[in-house]
Formats: sequence, C-alpha cells, structure tokens
Amino acid sequence: MITRLWVWTVSALVPREDRGAWREEWLGELRATGGDMRQAWGALPDAWCLRTDGWTMDGMLRDVRIAVRGLIRKPLFTAVGGITLAVGIGANTAIFSVVDAVLINPLPWPSSERVVSYNHAAPGLGVNVPVVPHSEALFLHYLENAKSLDAFAVFDQRKMNLIIDGEPQRLDANRVTQQYFDVIGIPPALGRTFAVGEDRPGSEPVVLLGYGLWERAYGKDPGVVGRLLDVNGVQRRVIGVMPEIARVGEEELWTPLVIDPAQANEGSLGLIGAARLAEGVTVAGANTEMHELLLRFAQAHPDDFGPEILEQAQLDADVKPLKDLFVEDTRQILLVLLGTVGFVLLIACANVANLFLVRAEGRQREQAVRTAMGASRGDVVRQYLTESLALATFGGLVGLGLAHFGVRGLLTMAPAELPSVLDIGIDGSVLAFTAAISLGAGILFGMFPVLGYARKDLVASLRDGGRSATAGRERHRVRSGLVVAQVALALVLLVGSGLTARSFLALRNVDLGFQPEQRMTFAIGLSDVAYPDVESVEAFYRRLTERIAADPRVVAAAVIDGLPLTEAKSAGPMEPEDEPFEEGQLGPIVEQRRVTPGYFAAMGIDIVDGRAPEWSDRVDQGAGVVIGKKLADAFWPGASAVGRRIRSQGDDFAWEVVGVAGDVRFDDVSQEPLAIIYYPVFDAGPGSYAAARNVDVVVQTAGDPLAAIDGARAALRELDPRMPMVNPRTVQDVVERSLASTSFTVLLLGIAGGIALLLGTVGIYGVISYTVSRRTAEIGVRMALGAPAAKVLGSIVGQGLRLTVLGVGIGLAGAWGLSRVLASLLYGVTATDPTTFTAMASVLIGVATLATWLPARRASRVDPVEALRAE
Amino acid sequence: MSLRMTQITALVLRAVAAGHRYGFDVMETCALPSGTAYPALRRLEKAGLLRSSWEDEDEARASGRPRRRSYQLTARGRAALPEAEQKLEEVRRLLGAMDHGPGLETER
Repeated sequence: MITRLWVWTVSALVPREDRGAWREEWLGELRATGGDMRQAWGALPDAWCLRTDGWTMDGMLRDVRIAVRGLIRKPLFTAVGGITLAVGIGANTAIFSVVDAVLINPLPWPSSERVVSYNHAAPGLGVNVPVVPHSEALFLHYLENAKSLDAFAVFDQRKMNLIIDGEPQRLDANRVTQQYFDVIGIPPALGRTFAVGEDRPGSEPVVLLGYGLWERAYGKDPGVVGRLLDVNGVQRRVIGVMPEIARVGEEELWTPLVIDPAQANEGSLGLIGAARLAEGVTVAGANTEMHELLLRFAQAHPDDFGPEILEQAQLDADVKPLKDLFVEDTRQILLVLLGTVGFVLLIACANVANLFLVRAEGRQREQAVRTAMGASRGDVVRQYLTESLALATFGGLVGLGLAHFGVRGLLTMAPAELPSVLDIGIDGSVLAFTAAISLGAGILFGMFPVLGYARKDLVASLRDGGRSATAGRERHRVRSGLVVAQVALALVLLVGSGLTARSFLALRNVDLGFQPEQRMTFAIGLSDVAYPDVESVEAFYRRLTERIAADPRVVAAAVIDGLPLTEAKSAGPMEPEDEPFEEGQLGPIVEQRRVTPGYFAAMGIDIVDGRAPEWSDRVDQGAGVVIGKKLADAFWPGASAVGRRIRSQGDDFAWEVVGVAGDVRFDDVSQEPLAIIYYPVFDAGPGSYAAARNVDVVVQTAGDPLAAIDGARAALRELDPRMPMVNPRTVQDVVERSLASTSFTVLLLGIAGGIALLLGTVGIYGVISYTVSRRTAEIGVRMALGAPAAKVLGSIVGQGLRLTVLGVGIGLAGAWGLSRVLASLLYGVTATDPTTFTAMASVLIGVATLATWLPARRASRVDPVEALRAE
Repeated sequence: MSLRMTQITALVLRAVAAGHRYGFDVMETCALPSGTAYPALRRLEKAGLLRSSWEDEDEARASGRPRRRSYQLTARGRAALPEAEQKLEEVRRLLGAMDHGPGLETER
C-alpha cells in the first residue's frame, strides 16, 4: 500500500504521455516480485530521468547543488518556508506513525490475519461493551464443535498479588485457557507454554512470566523455570517465559484459566474469546458456523438462552479481527486527527507556494536572461522544481525530527493506553510516508511558479520588466486564490477545535453525581487463600476502613468493587419481586456494585430516599440494598422504592430496598448514569460465589487528599503486610483520566487550529503586504492627486477583507459538510453549533483584518515624492 | 541516437542478453539499485539497443496484477554486445591492476 502510494506520488514527475505506462510498469514489477520500499524508491530517480528527458546524473546533481546554494543564499526565505513545511510534515508524520501502527499494520504475530475475536454481539441489551463474551459452558461448546478454528481460547484480565524477594507486588495478569498461545502463535522465549489439561481442575498450579517481569524480577535468570512463585497466596510453578510480543495489553504474567467441565457455568458471560482461523476459512465463514453453534447451544439450554431472550437481546455470533477489539475507540479520533494535520500541511503548502510565487516574480529577469541565452523551457521548469523539492526535503528532514519527539509526547498524552503489542514509532513505512508527502508537497507548491511563469514568453518580460498588466493580474489571482483556500481550510480547523473545546467544557460541567474533590482512592486485592470466606473479607474491610478513618485528616473511608469511571463492569438483568417479568422477557441490565456502609458519605453521593446502608444489611441478616434513582424510577415510577423487594431475574431470593441514592455517571463522563444496585460486601453465604476481592478504597479527607496516602498505607500494612497498595491517586485524577481522550483531542485540534490561524494570517499578511509594495507608486500618485489616507487604507483593507470573507464563506460550507465526522466525538454541543461557527468566523475575520491593516497603514503613510522617486 | 557505453549500461545490456527480461530481474542480477538499473534500461531503449513489450493483458489479469513490461535485445543491441563485453573487460583489468581498487558502482 505504501509502495503504491509512493509510485503514484512519484508518477506526477513523469511526462503525461508516458505516465500511465510508467505507473503500470512499476506497479506490475512490485506486484509480481512482492517488492517493498527498498526496490520502490528507485522509481524516483527513474521518474526524474524521464522528466528531465535523459539528463545525466551529473546534470541532476548540478541542479541540486544550484538549488541548495540558492536556498542557503536566502536564509530567511529558506527558514520561513522550511519551518512552515517542517511543522506540517512533522505533524503528519507523527500522527501517521500512530495510525500506521494502530490501524494499518497487522498484529506482529505469524499469519495474524487469521487471529480473530470470537465473541458475541447483543445490541438489544443496550450495554456499552465492545463484545459480549463467553460463559464457561459456551466456551466448551464452541471448543468442542467449531470446525473452522485451528485454536480457540478464552481469557480474562486480573490483578494478581505476587511476592517477589519478599516484596508484595500487584501486577496485571491474564488468566487464559490452554490453547491461548496457539491462537497468538508465539512460542515461549524459555521453557514451555500451558500443556493440555493444565486448565482443568486437579492439575498443578503453574504460571508463565512475561519478558519484562523476568528481566525486572529475575535479571533474566534462565534458572527461574521450575521454581515456585507466590501468586495470590498460591505457590505456582514457573513453566516458562513469554517474549514481549506475546502481550496484548499490560499483562505481565499468565496463569491457566481453570474450567471444570462438570460444573461449567452457563449464563455468566465474562470470558473473552480469541481464536485462530483454520487455513482457508474466512471471517464470514467462521461467523456463520458460530451462529449455528450458538443456536444449537441455546436449544440445549433454554433456561439461560431461551428464544425470547435471544431475540430480545439480539444475541448473535460476532467474529472479527482481534485488533478491532483494541482499537475501536481510537479509530475515529485518529482519523479526525490525520485529516486535521492533512489540512495543516495544505495550509503550509499554500503559504510556501505564495513565497515561491513572490520569489519567482523577483527572478523574472534572471530567467529571461537564461532563456535568451538558450535555456529551454524544460530547464527553467527543472530549476524551479529542483528548488521546491530541495526545500521540501529540508522541511521533511526537520519535520522528521519534530515527529520523532512529537510521537513520544503524543504517546505520553494518549488517552486509552494503546496496547503495547502495537509498535508505535518511526519505521520504514512511516519514512516512506514522510518522503511521499514531502515530495508531494514539494511538487504541489513548486507547480505554482512553474504554471505561472514557465509558460509565458520570458523574453517579453525582459523587455517590460515584468509589469505587463494582464500577466500581473493573472498571477495576482493565483495568489489571492491561495489565500482564500488558506482561510477556508483554517476556518474548518478552527470550527473543529472550537466544537471539541466546547464539548470539553460541557463535560467538565457535567454533574457526576459524586464529589471528586478532597478524595483519594487506591486499589487492593484479597487472595482467597488468606481470606477464604466472605466473613473474613467483610471483617477485613471493616477493620481497614475504621483504621484509615481514625486518622484525624480523614473524614470517611469506604470500599467499593469498582469505582465510577474506572472501567470496572459488572451487570445483570433484575426485576421487582412484586411485578416480575414474564417468562422469557429480559429485565433491564443493571450495573451491580458491592459497597461498605460509609460509601455514599465518603463519595459525597446523596441518599434521596430511605437510608444509607449499614453493616447489618448483609445477606444473612437484613438483606438490604440501596439502589440508584434511575432504577427506582424504572421499577416503581411515582412511588417510593423503599421497602420494596428486588431480585436478580430468575432468582428466588429477593433483597429489600432500604435506600435510594442519587444517580452517578459510571461508564464515562459523557454517558448518562446507569441503573445501578449497591449490595453489601457480605452478599453471599459460605460456599457461594466469591465476595468482592478486587476493590477500590475511597478516602474522604479534610485537606489535601494525597496527604492521607501515608496514613492509609500504614493502616494497610498493619492489617496485612503482604497486601500492596495499588495506584493511589485522587478521585479527581480518576475523573481527569476518563476525560483524557476528549482533552487529548481538544489539545491536538487546538494546536492544529492555532497553527492554521497563524499560517493563514501570515499568508494574508504576506499577500497584502506584497501587493502594497508593488502598488507603492500607484498609491503615491493617488495621494499626490489628493486621495485621503483613510481612503487608501480602506481600499487595501477592503481588498484583504474580500479575500477573507470569501474564504470564510467557503470554510463555513466546508465545516458544515464535515460536521458529521466530528459529531460522534462531541458532547453537549451539536456539530453545527451556530455559536461556534459564528465565533470562529469572527475570530478569523478579526485576525485577518489586523493582518491587512498593518501593511495598509504603511501604504497610507507613503510619501508621494518618495514613492515616485523609487520608480 | 548514440549511447556512451558505461559499465552500468554494459552490465544491463548483458543481463538482458542473458535472458533477464524484467526490470526488477535485471536489477537483481546486476545487483544494482532500482534507481540505477531503470535509467540505464531507458537509455538503452532510447538508443535502440533494447525494445520493450507488454505482457498479455489477460494473462496479467488472471494473476491479479498489472501487466509487466519486458525488455529484449534488438539487432543493434546484439551488435553492441562485444563492445559491452569489452567495456566490462577493461574495467575488470583496471581493477585487477589496482588490486584492491574501488568498486564498480560509480559511473563516471
């Protein structure tokens, strides 16, 4: 794709009559031999030789030398032009390197086009998730019956407590079924991967280490294989080390995801599936097969997957490239950014084209002399193009340097952590892209002087000194056209950045439903070895929150298994006990959390009805829950929910609603609050399913929230010295983070808009100022004949204003047309928001007027005598 | 149109004579970068020592790619072969005389 782009770009150099054949020859060879950029780059010298009609390498080098010398002799021209281009090219290179890694390059695994996300979609549930994953039983069903797969595995992501050299650490881990590494297709760097049966109960606990962890914790000691490692309180044998590219996210180790076929859970969909398609099987083929297998499974399990439920949830197979799972959120932003920087480059080109036009004007005599002495039209064209290409090369090189640092900055600010498996940086294809756009830019702005000057009779211009009226007017039109284009492009960018800035402000003012100020939070995880039952878990949370709250700087402390805006997700269908849904009708999907009693006070969430939870609400005592207002209104509209009973759909056991809490934004600042239920931490009897073990502790403080960290850490250490405190931060930070993707877009669009405004202004200033200098004599005469200074000023400002208004008009239409692209990234403002459109147009007109006013004022102060003498 | 025989053109001419018909093929045989091999091919064709023809349209479409262009020696090209061989021999002798002289790559 890159080689094609390259050949197409370069083909612009080839004389038109040969172009088609030339392109076909290069593309044919590249296609037939599978050639890459190493072969393809030669298209440039080849095209150049054709363009220059067999000029020798010597001749080319001489041209380049002359061009470079010419650029060095005009350092200001070169610096302004070069830096303008460098900014445009650098921005494009930086964004492209991310786009290349994220959207274009395949995952770095063998035949990675066959690696797919093998999950379900259920648009009918109305839940905001990328895929609907598997239950244990569903996984086993597909594993046994799918013929279109070479390998199939499910995984989930966990934090795990490790003891390394006596130090507790909490690391990201993936629990995976046995064929996981066959799906990825990556062999271990050391030792072996999971063997058949190691994901079934009764096998020895084992663990695979990531390369980074191996390096950090064991100094790459190969003797680590076979040793025992304390993971979540269980001694696991290290069986191998996986190379860096085996990671799909932040995980640092892998343990088997143990599934007992005899007791496989049917309806709890929490395991993400990944598969490797068999040779020759298409994604569509695998999807069809999966669809049929799902129907078979549903027929066999009517309790969990009755036909009405399937229909209501619109549950169906969803096989797609695995990469789509990671990049879905970033795609839109990246494409908008790429478009944005593309606009910036176009504006930069227009500026440089104007510079070149002015320069060419000043060189008409020189060219005329050259022509008179026998230089052909081709010679003149060649000289112009060599110069513009030399400048573009200079800009490209500087731009590459800018991009190198820009990419790093971009990555530190990037919103969602992009998976490390995507290798972002400046590589061969990025270099090719930079070369192609530099060349493209060089040809683009180099064409203007060529079209404007090389065509006309240069000897005539030698005679009249380049003042022939008609040619002048035509050139002026070209320059004015460039200015109009610049203004239009700049306005589109300004409107885009204005709209995102407004939605950013709207997001900042959203009522989250809780108070992020003066609150800090950290995460902990309780292993089921040290805390075997719900009783011990509850007791620990109780002691911990009491101990932390004993600090005089602390107002309140509480625990929740998944703070708002942290991407924690747990949900299921619920129903009111007094009015259960009919058989087969799916209740609303309700977000579920478990909290300790002080949670609502600690987070500053209002209890709007009833009371806050108490320790005695546990399942074996009062069995009381607090629900969100949205859920209360959905089940008991117009009546109090307190005292009513609510249950998981299909369950016999119901909880009593003791209180109703204000609604809270959970998924994302921009998403409406979810229906939610808050259970007590003690929500299940002994032997029943696990208590909340991966939780966030939230601490409300009287003063600086971070000052409470040390006290909380001491309290934690006192209670359990082996439990690490993970990721302590303010709750405000949590909110900022969830706004990161918007603020990132706002920042980059703001920068782009700023650059566009600056370049556009410089463009207008340049053109008006140049016109004024050319018209000095005329203005002098007019003033000598008695024209008032104000009139002169007005006529020049008017000239600039006409161009600006024309550009603004086109730009408004363009921004209107492109608004659809931005719409999905906006919040609280429509993509065609009249205020933003008007404001940005006014800003642009204002700045442009200033840019014309400066040269106009100079003109109005022209001394007529002086002006005429200059003639 | 006359052509100054250089090592590069000589190498390329000989490669085509030996049956290497496609640009990339010639480039690989002569171990020349594509930016050197192609201009040489163009010069030879222009000078009438080579002629080119296009692959059959249907054949190319069958294998799902653009047509390939192949180069053949003309009568003049064949007549120029001894000159090319002589040029290469000269270079070889020169290099031999210089023992460990510079490579063949630079065209002067």
